[in-house]
Amino acid sequence: MPLRTVASLDVQRLEILAADGKLDEALLPKMSKELLLNIHRLMFQIRAFDERAVLLQRQGRLGTYPMITGQEATQCVPPLCLKPTDWVVPTYRGGGVYFARGMSMRHALLYWAGDDRGTRFPEANNDLTFSIPVGAHLTQAAGLAWAEKLKKTGGVALTYCGDGTSSKGDLHEALTFAGQFKLPAIFLIENNGWAISVPRSRQAASQTLAQKAWGYGVFGLQVDGNDALAVYRATSEAVARARKGEGPSLLECETYRMGHHTTADDASRYRDPAEVAAWRAKDPIERLERFLRARGLWDDEKGRRLAERTRAWIDEEIAAYEAFPPPNPLDMFSFNYDRAPWMLREQRAELERLLALKGGAKALEALSPAEGRFP
Amino acid sequence: MTVTAAATRELNLVQAVNEALDLALAADERVLILGEDVGRNGGVFRATEGLWKKYGEQRVVDTPLAEIGIVGGAIGLALAGLRPVAEIQFDGFMPAALDQVICHLGRLRSRTRGRRSVPLVLRAPHGGLIRAPEHHSESPEAYFCHTPGIKVVIASTPYDAKGLLLAAIDDPDPVVFFEPKRLYRAARSQVPRGDYRVELGKARLAREGRELTLIGWGAMVQTCLEAAELLAGEGRSIEVLDLRTLTPLDLPALLASVEKTGRAVIAHEAPNAGSWAAELSALISERALLSLQAPVRRVGGWDIRMPLFRLEDYYVPDRERVADAARQTLAF
Repeated sequence: MPLRTVASLDVQRLEILAADGKLDEALLPKMSKELLLNIHRLMFQIRAFDERAVLLQRQGRLGTYPMITGQEATQCVPPLCLKPTDWVVPTYRGGGVYFARGMSMRHALLYWAGDDRGTRFPEANNDLTFSIPVGAHLTQAAGLAWAEKLKKTGGVALTYCGDGTSSKGDLHEALTFAGQFKLPAIFLIENNGWAISVPRSRQAASQTLAQKAWGYGVFGLQVDGNDALAVYRATSEAVARARKGEGPSLLECETYRMGHHTTADDASRYRDPAEVAAWRAKDPIERLERFLRARGLWDDEKGRRLAERTRAWIDEEIAAYEAFPPPNPLDMFSFNYDRAPWMLREQRAELERLLALKGGAKALEALSPAEGRFP
Repeated sequence: MTVTAAATRELNLVQAVNEALDLALAADERVLILGEDVGRNGGVFRATEGLWKKYGEQRVVDTPLAEIGIVGGAIGLALAGLRPVAEIQFDGFMPAALDQVICHLGRLRSRTRGRRSVPLVLRAPHGGLIRAPEHHSESPEAYFCHTPGIKVVIASTPYDAKGLLLAAIDDPDPVVFFEPKRLYRAARSQVPRGDYRVELGKARLAREGRELTLIGWGAMVQTCLEAAELLAGEGRSIEVLDLRTLTPLDLPALLASVEKTGRAVIAHEAPNAGSWAAELSALISERALLSLQAPVRRVGGWDIRMPLFRLEDYYVPDRERVADAARQTLAF
């Protein structure tokens, strides 16, 4: 018998607004002026915020910090396709996602300052804390989407991972479940080219990461991740399909990590500066800004006002972050169980005794009040 | 062993690890290193600095980001005759590979009736107090010690780190090799230039004393030594035992010390519940009960997750907390 083709791949890439400003009008999604300006604002503000956060870290006023610079479109745009009650699970490099979901960034700073009080998101949102051991959240996101399907809420789950994480078994299992149970889930691979020092070419040998979708009966698409318009179109369509019961999507958004992995990393050890420069020319913010200018939606004066407003906002967030009193050491015993069992009650009392032993009873009085649910 | 001063110089712990890996790669073509960022970048702590350039990408391998792939792959490499030294980048990333460790790594020798073995080394940084993000400050040794068929090693000095790592690479059985990241740069000692071994399964008497034995491993040995110094100022004579190999344990050394002092305090960073300290306490109680003048006491992390780093100083025992436990034991 001659060999015959039983399945074939047709991996598509979505680009609407090219780096050189060329626009494919036919693919342009319906987007209001307010939405376009909001996307631009979010991207501009989170970039400025990251720059200041890195400075804070360098001054010893913040812990290790993962900036998102270069990835503003893949982070700030998808959340705008969702309702607050939809689930969102970003990665640790998710500052833009949380910001677009309305997180108060003083809490983001607090988290990266090593303070557990920083994991606070808007009350009405279904936002979850990322998993630092990467990928573990992907199957959980499938479960979140599964629950929405079972409850018939029409809700969806959006989750992120990087090109590095796409190598982990977690993605395989998550896509297997999502495809099998036709779950309303959107898996967004933020392919930023680098997993710390390991390039994308060193992960799966496949031509694209989008094509992984075909292995699981999941819709797959590659997207220019620095094109905010393409990211918007791809995500909103994936969300629409999910809400209609048409199942999950895997979007590979190609973007670039312009900065170090984190402030603890030095990318110059392993990366060619020419590659970084080439990606700078594809910047997502400048690209959208040129588009807005061409449509008469943006000018220098607006830019100046946004920069001013942003500076004031960042100053305020930093001041509020630094005004948090140090956490009470006893806080760590809060929230570990619905009702703290005997050993935690005993151990908390033991820590209290040790604190008094070290600093005297005065030391205990000087602490911030303990927070959180205990026992 | 004796080493002439001329042949030694001061190294920190991560340099000692690097030197052991370098020697092992040079001495044996079957040795290869694999892990995330271990190649071009030289490891996030620089433990493999310079080795990729020196030995090439076939022997110092930047793997895809996949811990099961790294550990399962290393098991295959070892079964087929190579000597893989796999790195898991942080202690908090090890649980992803526990299926390979628990269900396979330690069982393959007995499941093949001794026809196969898995001579691999699984290296990982260990412990807290470096102001790192979440999941970067864990002490997962108990999960590994609880798993039959593997050895678990953790050094507290550069000298031991080099000698133990070379011994681990030689060992015919799988060795999980923890490196206390708090000591990577903080611990410095004289290290011989050449090849030498520190035998696995042997504890080190880090300080001699008469009244109480502080038992520790990894970075906590340093804390125990500081606590012993503190107590010396109060006129107490404290012995410090650095276990170096957690399993198989140097039981004779442990019992000899406790039988001599009559009192034992075990200090470590993990939660006490179900910890390796619990096993030590049980062994001492079972085998040295009549020598004991006070109950064996454990000073560990609390039975909660490691908090974010602003509170880690209140989670990991410090010298005051260890000294306090010792005082209570002395006063029993």
